[in-house]
Amino acid sequence: MSRRPRYRLVSAAAAAAAALVAAACSAPGSSQPSSGSTSSGAVAGPIKIAVVDAQSGSESDLGQFEWRGVKLAVDQANAAGGIDGRKIQLTLYDDQGDPTVGTELARKIASAGDIAMFGTAESAVTLAMAPILESEHIPNITSGQSTQLLALHSPYLFLNGPTGLTYDSTLAKYLVTTKGYKKIAMLTNNDSYGAGEDEAFTASLKSLGITPVATEVVPADQTNMTPALTAIRAKNPQVLFIGAEEAQSGLIVKQARALGMTAVIAEGAPAGTPLYMSTAGVANANGTIVSSPYLGNDVSPAARKFAAAYTAAYGTAPELHGAKAYDGAEVMIAALKACNACTGLALANAIRAVHYAGLLGNFRYNSSGVGIFATSIGIITDGKIKPAG
Amino acid sequence: MQSFFQTLVSGLSFGAVYALVALGFSLVYRTMGLVNFAHGAVLMIGAYVASTFYLSARLPFAVAVPAAMIVTGAVGLVIERVLRPLENKDFDLMLIGTIGAGTVLDAVAILIWSSSGRGVPSPVQTAPFDIGGVRIPAYNVLVIGVTAAAMAVLTLFLQRTRHGAAMQAVAMDHEAATAVGIHVGRSNAISFAIGAALAALAGALVGPMLYVTPTMGDSLGIQGFAAAILGGFGSIPGAIVGGLGIGVIGSFAAQSFQGYSDLVTFVVFTVLVMIRPTGIFGERTVNRA
Repeated sequence: MSRRPRYRLVSAAAAAAAALVAAACSAPGSSQPSSGSTSSGAVAGPIKIAVVDAQSGSESDLGQFEWRGVKLAVDQANAAGGIDGRKIQLTLYDDQGDPTVGTELARKIASAGDIAMFGTAESAVTLAMAPILESEHIPNITSGQSTQLLALHSPYLFLNGPTGLTYDSTLAKYLVTTKGYKKIAMLTNNDSYGAGEDEAFTASLKSLGITPVATEVVPADQTNMTPALTAIRAKNPQVLFIGAEEAQSGLIVKQARALGMTAVIAEGAPAGTPLYMSTAGVANANGTIVSSPYLGNDVSPAARKFAAAYTAAYGTAPELHGAKAYDGAEVMIAALKACNACTGLALANAIRAVHYAGLLGNFRYNSSGVGIFATSIGIITDGKIKPAG
Repeated sequence: MQSFFQTLVSGLSFGAVYALVALGFSLVYRTMGLVNFAHGAVLMIGAYVASTFYLSARLPFAVAVPAAMIVTGAVGLVIERVLRPLENKDFDLMLIGTIGAGTVLDAVAILIWSSSGRGVPSPVQTAPFDIGGVRIPAYNVLVIGVTAAAMAVLTLFLQRTRHGAAMQAVAMDHEAATAVGIHVGRSNAISFAIGAALAALAGALVGPMLYVTPTMGDSLGIQGFAAAILGGFGSIPGAIVGGLGIGVIGSFAAQSFQGYSDLVTFVVFTVLVMIRPTGIFGERTVNRA
């Protein structure tokens, strides 16, 4: 009898492992065709494009933002007649925010006949998919911003926004040069986004002659940030720079304020999202300095028009990620029009040749696949980003 | 020293939540000899239900939490009823059944609340206590107090009530318990319901500390499971000590090893379990397969 409980624990662990293996072996992602297809057929039928983003899991908010932005642009293009009379047909795949699922989806969309891909919202997943997409000659416009994406030197990979280095160099310059802060602490997570932010912001500070007073790293799934924040608090920084995804960033701010930390919070794109503000709480989020290429829906007539269309379609206001995805889709549509719905390297070259005045700025792609090179500084006030004065 | 105590406080706060999760695991295990792998998902459902009562129905937090415990207690009853035909017949299928139940609950949560998460404001707006520079959020004190109360109530229930005594009897020898007229199925159902209610309590309490998402039960479930094993699987005081232990180990690992804190926490856990395989309190449980 005394041996049975241990046997049961072993059986329990084995059962859990078997279930995990079974889950891992199942077909990844969901596919959800969308938009107005006219007929099937290789040439006369719709132009098939994949959207790969997390629709489940902790990154699903980003995936939803991205999907909505892309779909809005494509719906508008289809309503205006499509590409030489052909409609664009989007198919949504759920990468679950998992690079392994992403690689399986890359092979799946190649066999499904998609000529291009939007997504993903996570650099790590895009990094995993990019080599397969390159070998299959499928152009990809991603929302990732890690500088590691550029190191791939893939002619098929394009960013729909600035790199992390652009976000962070603008932010560092504002903090150090404009505001005169010298004691800056950093708290980043250890996934590809956080590691990229750590590298980019450290380099940006170094170029300004500043060394961080504290540099802490937490696991990407860490929920108790107090130990790291306690170490930072001991250094009494003027500014706390955060390099983590939206929900974790919000948690960091929430726990920092609970510890009595009054340092100014500074961050890149994640801090500009509703998810960050709802996690941190509006009171805690207020005063956060944000580096972003899209400082809200009132910054320009184009932003207001986009926001109105987005709100009409989805019943909720857009934010940065939706705007980025919309711009990326507009670039793709312009390229398809310019090259008469070409595919492969010809389509990639057409994307590179696009000059497009978008919501985030003027897109002019370089050989690395980066098309936009500036961000602006905003400050969260009463739960909304306002341009810094 | 201030840093040491601050890290200790945060470890105890999260450890209290792990302890509640571990209590649910241990209660079901000691009664049925079953590891309920749906426990993390039940916790997540409890967090969502409590936050819905609190934020949408605008019930006071002190009302929303018990209401969520009742709802998830009912969920626990449903899971037990589905698994009951397998009781004493196929233990492995029961385990798979709990995994399946967890998957169903995950899907139900996404259907009802969507895959997006939600932030829950703290119901305690009092400023943190400051003791010699160590900041202790008032809400965290509440969480630790509720955990202590939950353990006391559970212990009293098991030792002083008829149903609790019946559960203890079933745990010790279910055939003898059946022979003296104890309804084993009902005893198991009560165990599952209380376990689910404890999961809901943990989920509801952790919501304002973290962020409520459909995936929140995964990591909390693993931490709670580890806590239950560390304390001695099936042991009520072991669950509390194990939970606090995992919380404190994790907190100090985070301070010293930063991005590798999870690795270090589970290496320490593995070493401790190797030294003492039955856990700190070495609880022995019944064979019901």
